[in-house]
Amino acid sequence: MERWVCPNDRQLALRAKLGTGWSVHTNRMSSFQKAKQLNLDEQEQIMRVMQRAEYLDQSEQERIGRLVEKLDNMKKNCIGNGTTQCVLCGDEFGLLGSSPTFCDDCKKAVCSKCGVDTINSARQPLWLCKICSEHREVWKRSGAWFFKAIPRYVIPEKKTDCAKYQARGRIQTQGSRRVRPGGPSPAWHRGRGSTSTGTASYGESSEQDSSSSSEDEVNFNSKHKNKRGAESESDNISIGSSRSSHLYGTHNLADSKTSITSGNYGGAGQLSATESSRGDDYHDETDSEKSSLSGFSRDGSTRSHGVGGVAGSTRYDDEHDNIDVAINQYNKHQEDDEIVSSPDSDSGTSLGCLEFSLLYDSVNNALYCTIVRARGLKAMDSNGLSDPYVKLHLLPGANKSTKLRTKTIHKTLNPEWNETLTYYGITEEDIVKKTLRLSVLDEDHFGFDFIGETRVPLKKLKPHQTKAFNVYLEKTFPLEKDDDLIAIRGKILLSLRYATSRQSLIVRIIRCAELASMDSNGYSDPYVKVYLKPDKDKKSKYKTSVKKRTLNPEFNEEFVYEIKHNELPKKTLEVTVWDKDIGKANDFIGGVQIGINAKGERLRHWFNALKNPDREFRQWHVLSAELTPEVYT
Amino acid sequence: MYGFQQNGTYPPVMASANDSKWQKDAADQNFDYMFKLLIIGNSSVGKTSFLFRYADDSFTSAFVSTVGIDFKVKTVFRQDKRVKLQIWDTAGQERYRTITTAYYRGAMGFLLMYDVTNEESFNAVQDWCTQIKTYSWDNAQVVLVGNKCDLEDERVVSMERGKQLADQLGLEFFETSAKENINVKAVFERLVDIICDKMSESLDSDPTLVSSQSKGTRLTENANTQNSGCSC
Repeated sequence: MERWVCPNDRQLALRAKLGTGWSVHTNRMSSFQKAKQLNLDEQEQIMRVMQRAEYLDQSEQERIGRLVEKLDNMKKNCIGNGTTQCVLCGDEFGLLGSSPTFCDDCKKAVCSKCGVDTINSARQPLWLCKICSEHREVWKRSGAWFFKAIPRYVIPEKKTDCAKYQARGRIQTQGSRRVRPGGPSPAWHRGRGSTSTGTASYGESSEQDSSSSSEDEVNFNSKHKNKRGAESESDNISIGSSRSSHLYGTHNLADSKTSITSGNYGGAGQLSATESSRGDDYHDETDSEKSSLSGFSRDGSTRSHGVGGVAGSTRYDDEHDNIDVAINQYNKHQEDDEIVSSPDSDSGTSLGCLEFSLLYDSVNNALYCTIVRARGLKAMDSNGLSDPYVKLHLLPGANKSTKLRTKTIHKTLNPEWNETLTYYGITEEDIVKKTLRLSVLDEDHFGFDFIGETRVPLKKLKPHQTKAFNVYLEKTFPLEKDDDLIAIRGKILLSLRYATSRQSLIVRIIRCAELASMDSNGYSDPYVKVYLKPDKDKKSKYKTSVKKRTLNPEFNEEFVYEIKHNELPKKTLEVTVWDKDIGKANDFIGGVQIGINAKGERLRHWFNALKNPDREFRQWHVLSAELTPEVYT
Repeated sequence: MYGFQQNGTYPPVMASANDSKWQKDAADQNFDYMFKLLIIGNSSVGKTSFLFRYADDSFTSAFVSTVGIDFKVKTVFRQDKRVKLQIWDTAGQERYRTITTAYYRGAMGFLLMYDVTNEESFNAVQDWCTQIKTYSWDNAQVVLVGNKCDLEDERVVSMERGKQLADQLGLEFFETSAKENINVKAVFERLVDIICDKMSESLDSDPTLVSSQSKGTRLTENANTQNSGCSC
């Protein structure tokens, strides 16, 4: 079994045995790990493969995006109630002779035109509405059947300069509510110059609105009319509001937090509202409704900042642009005032780069930070990806009050956020004194892993002038005390060993260090609970003794779990540290979960123990306050 | 342990001209399903040759150890469907293990390969199985492949032993030769068929399909308020 351990793991294990109270963070860990193992040629070769894979993944995500979008469009066009009317086309059942059949999946009433006769895998007949049939199709085509959820996808998006896109035969559709906030508008990070186009398209979409409402007047089908009338009304309202924010928004920025976003992004969205909608129409008469509807929902999504994810089109085009560019010329110089840094030269490696732009509005004392995207982030998760988000702080004096963060974009090394985060009440004095720190973090089930950061002294900014940045991240690890980046509640030294003779996993709680104090005396009365999940009858719960008045308790207590070796991969070891209080509920200090779903050093520890039976592995783990223990008592 | 990616920001750039073929393959959107397959097994059992035979119909006896990972794309026509295969070829060598295992998670099917002339590679099959169990999705499909069956004189693992092990592990079994092009296509086609069958089954039995439908609407939250139509 020795051969499962790579040399670096062995080194780590040795270090762990020293028991000198070190703790590693994954980013550090990996930086010394692979660099030593693979020479440059190999790295480059692997990198090339990964680029190819990424290219494929990207087009796959777009493909899935198109499938999802098609399905959504179909759903949007459903107008019936599914009981007295066909759920899809809204035809009334009964009087005029058509009788309903019921979809085997959604159990709703469907007319014969809107249903599909098919068979299941056991060759039994199956009657499905077109929506459910399409849903099954999407489930199969996207691979969701395998992964139990629709994989990551990007919704194809309309851009002004999408000639290339179309040349490739990609169908450009808009009309998705999930159009990512702004992803799109290259005009935005090039200096927000889309005013005229934006206005023009507003005009056009209002026109469509009015046409749809006038159509309502001729349409005497009461159901349709009611429904549509309501929608057009809300359309008008929302477009009206976004227009006003557009007009004022760009110049009078501080009106509302979203004004800048809706102004610009709304513009980008509206551009595409003129595009005719793509197929899947069951009913011609819903066309106008659809376009107005999409206009509406786009506004909705820009206001609500959409549902995370990336905007595919921008990135896609960038890829295309770059196609002949050599690797080290990666950074594009799109703008004169763009700041581009070079990677950390000492390590010869990169944590990834971050593209963002800053604008200080001295009239309204607002600082707008638009986080555009990151590229080539370091992978923190076992799937070779990360779940990155960006946190902003103003230094000095970083504390919770200056913390802003973007959404998390899951499973990517090239996230697109396109989010504008705004600081209000930033005085000119602040501009001179303060530094903006942007940290890219990888979201974890609890806690996070630090990927990299960059800092911008605000005095670099000129008022009312957008400054774009494209910088390599650095790995200044946040060690400052005043930092709330990590809710570290202390550390714990654990030892794991699988004893084949006893068919048991032996967990030893050795000691804790630097625990957070929970009592008014500045100390805690810590004890440790161990729990091997999942475990129905909670037999696996063990507790150490309580150590009084200490933040660095030594336990040296051993717990034995009788379990077959091959069942271990399914288990997760949950270790939580508590402060014993008499007469009231015990305080939760922090915890750590070790198992196959853990990351970094936690995962490594688990694997080492699993792959090397009868060897003891000791390791320090950071206790996170963000773990919600299952045995919360 | 998965941190090697940090060794350089890699731009989404296609580096050289000989990428154009794969680029065409990759860009081909004319397919119904996309399956990711992974070939694993000890070093030098013939994983790369096997893939080259299948994807390019080429063979060379020269042994070049695979660096980390590689993949090829091939679209096949099975059961009236076009299936695009992204076939990952992994390095058998230990030193790449952390890289290769990172790719297990996305794979729907595995070709677990040993060399019929190499006892050690056969003995390692069990360990490879453990690897799959550890790193892959639960429902990933595996076929056991005994390669180099053309080298009858040097054979040390009989077909019976291979078959027996496969039964024991609950896998389908093939003996193949990349050199003589024996059973290469059959292995892939069988694996694709198995995955296709699993897919149909999962749709009829999978309770998550229903719940996922509500998930689907979660993604489309904005429309829900206006549209009480088919919520499926």
